[in-house]
Amino acid sequence: MRPPPARAFVSQLMSLTLILLVFSGSLGLGAVWVRQEISGAANRSHVIENRIADVERRLDEVNAEVAQALNPQALLQRNATMRLGLSNPREIQVVRVGESVELRLAAKRNREIFNVPTERVGSESAGGAPYTFKIITASLR
Amino acid sequence: MSKGFATNRLTLLALLVVACFMGVGVRLVFLQVVDRDTLLKFVDRARRQIVVEHARRGTILDTNGNLLAMSRSELTLAIDPWMLVEYLQAEKNEKRRGVKSREQEAKRAEMAALLGMPAAEVERIFEPTMRSVSFERDKRDGTSDGKIKDRWVKLREGVDEPTFAKIQKLKVQGLTFERIYRRVYPGGGLAAHIVGFLNNEGTPVTGVERRLDLYLKGQDGWIESEKDGARRELAQFRSRDVPAKDGDNVALTIDSVIQHILEDELKSIAAKFNPHFATIIASDPQTGAILGMANYPTFDLNNFGKASPDSLRNAATEYLVEPGSTFKIVAAGAALNEGIVTPDTQFDCSLTSINYRGRDLKLPREDHPFEELSVAEIVSHSSNRGAAQLAMKLGDQKFYEYVRKYGFGRRTELSLGLEEAGILEPPKRWDSLTITRMPMGHAIAATPLQIHMAMSAVANSGTLLRPHLFKEIRDSKGNIVRTFAPEKREQVLKPSTAALLAQLLHGVLLPGGTAAGFDIAGFDLAGKTGTAQKIIDGRYSNSRYVASFVGFFPASRPQIVLSVIVDDARIPTGGMASGRNVSAPAFHHIAEQLIQYLEIKPVAPASGNLLAMRGGVL
Repeated sequence: MRPPPARAFVSQLMSLTLILLVFSGSLGLGAVWVRQEISGAANRSHVIENRIADVERRLDEVNAEVAQALNPQALLQRNATMRLGLSNPREIQVVRVGESVELRLAAKRNREIFNVPTERVGSESAGGAPYTFKIITASLR
Repeated sequence: MSKGFATNRLTLLALLVVACFMGVGVRLVFLQVVDRDTLLKFVDRARRQIVVEHARRGTILDTNGNLLAMSRSELTLAIDPWMLVEYLQAEKNEKRRGVKSREQEAKRAEMAALLGMPAAEVERIFEPTMRSVSFERDKRDGTSDGKIKDRWVKLREGVDEPTFAKIQKLKVQGLTFERIYRRVYPGGGLAAHIVGFLNNEGTPVTGVERRLDLYLKGQDGWIESEKDGARRELAQFRSRDVPAKDGDNVALTIDSVIQHILEDELKSIAAKFNPHFATIIASDPQTGAILGMANYPTFDLNNFGKASPDSLRNAATEYLVEPGSTFKIVAAGAALNEGIVTPDTQFDCSLTSINYRGRDLKLPREDHPFEELSVAEIVSHSSNRGAAQLAMKLGDQKFYEYVRKYGFGRRTELSLGLEEAGILEPPKRWDSLTITRMPMGHAIAATPLQIHMAMSAVANSGTLLRPHLFKEIRDSKGNIVRTFAPEKREQVLKPSTAALLAQLLHGVLLPGGTAAGFDIAGFDLAGKTGTAQKIIDGRYSNSRYVASFVGFFPASRPQIVLSVIVDDARIPTGGMASGRNVSAPAFHHIAEQLIQYLEIKPVAPASGNLLAMRGGVL
């Protein structure tokens, strides 16, 4: 059998080398592209992380300012500076209501509508029957 | 061209290509194998970096979520003057360099204004300088003269974020910064002894900051990556990224408003009576939760460096006082609990001495002369001789056992640390007079918190609880890490005895009682005055006292236990600084405010309220 001519062998070698070069080049370029993408994504996430940290820092800053403004001492000072005259109620100023506030207000409204003098509440009418007030504000029930 | 020549040429080319590959291969072997260690060290030095990510310290909150302590970022600004020089030198055009130089100068002036510094001082800091280093280290700038460029000159510390954001926009060349977290206490001195503080090195020194440091501090993270020529991180080369775990947030049982009410009252006590120290404690008897604990003297947490050593001490847990008459609840409660007396049992309180175990013992003096008094009157009139006779009925050992049960002579185990146990000797070490003196609150020393907790046991159906300050611990995402439940320590009295004693203590504020006139109609305040003589130079003083009022309200369903203890108060008019004169008015004033703030309902409605409840005139 005749051995293949040297030129054909060289041509094959060259072709294979070229294919190898193209292949490895593509792989290399691919790797570079992937790295670029990774780098881009990493940098983008880094920027976002920094932004989140920045927002959290600003949030802390605002929280600190709010806390300082809501401190009881600060509120009292503001009350004095703005001359609001706000103070805690004293027990003598407090009227405790045991019944439903809505019904009581409705009764008051009824009295106003029918012009019934408040001093007659609970007293008896001329005929001896006590005054009674019906709640007409149905929506309140 | 012959065929042989072409073949040879191609072979030569192929060999050349192979040789090139081999050359590259050999070089790679040298780089990757032979010189690997040397090169890696160089790369490591030049490019690798480990950045520590500091964990943010957790916040401390009150029971309603108001901030008591938090971390706030601050910046330390520094200058690299050589960077400015290099920036200007990079511009070859003379004219443009001048423009850039003037632009930078204007920006520096603007920055100086933002920092509140004179522009001349900033310009001086921007002057490039050299600094001395050891000759071994001096290889950075190519010369070996023992000097290198000083690339870090501090400009300003403690710059806040908004100011820094404005400075950053200026783009001043050569400006560098370091971000640190500083502890901020929005309430200033509010609950200073409870919250505690971190020193300048960031080490927790006192209070919750120290006690719960493990939870608060979090865990630092770190990033191992590479940096570019401008020392910026190349995020794509991160090899390890351990995220920081922020500290947990601690919620206390303290209520800022109640704490402020107590501190406000202390301020007025300090202004009126100039005491050595004073403490006011408020707690929930059913849970042992401390709602407020205020001390005088106190300090500002944001300026702890200016505080005196005395003001740093938590008087409520670290100072010892003789309880005085507030201690009479021990003898009275014990005698009632053992069933050896009833509220109506009579004692002769005019006696000056009494026979006890075969010996005639001298009874203590009374502030006012008394004749026959019932147990109820002994409590309301605060009879020393009556209390002594009650303790004698119990006997040394039994009385001592009750004293221990009330929590005296041992730490309350408040989860804050630094607490005194008090002084209580066992009966075998008592002298013959101790059984007559201890029931009136002498021959024993206790912390204000121990006295407070003893009264709290009466208010809590006779059960002594462990006082606690922590409500819950949450992680940075809001998940509950740990909760704290009430902890029972001792059943001191039967619930029926405790209820009976509470009614007797209400009598203290009724006409004839030592605190008559300080009751609030409808709320049945109960309590006990105490006026303990101070020991000065080994003798009981007749002019210096520990004035106290310890009590709770409403007597029939206690919701708040309150103690006002004032050491060495001085009354400007020269009167006696007794519990009635000094502490009871403060107790009354605080109670009035707490009733409104906590919306405590009256036990028996007043007549005006009854009218309102019947739907009367609006």
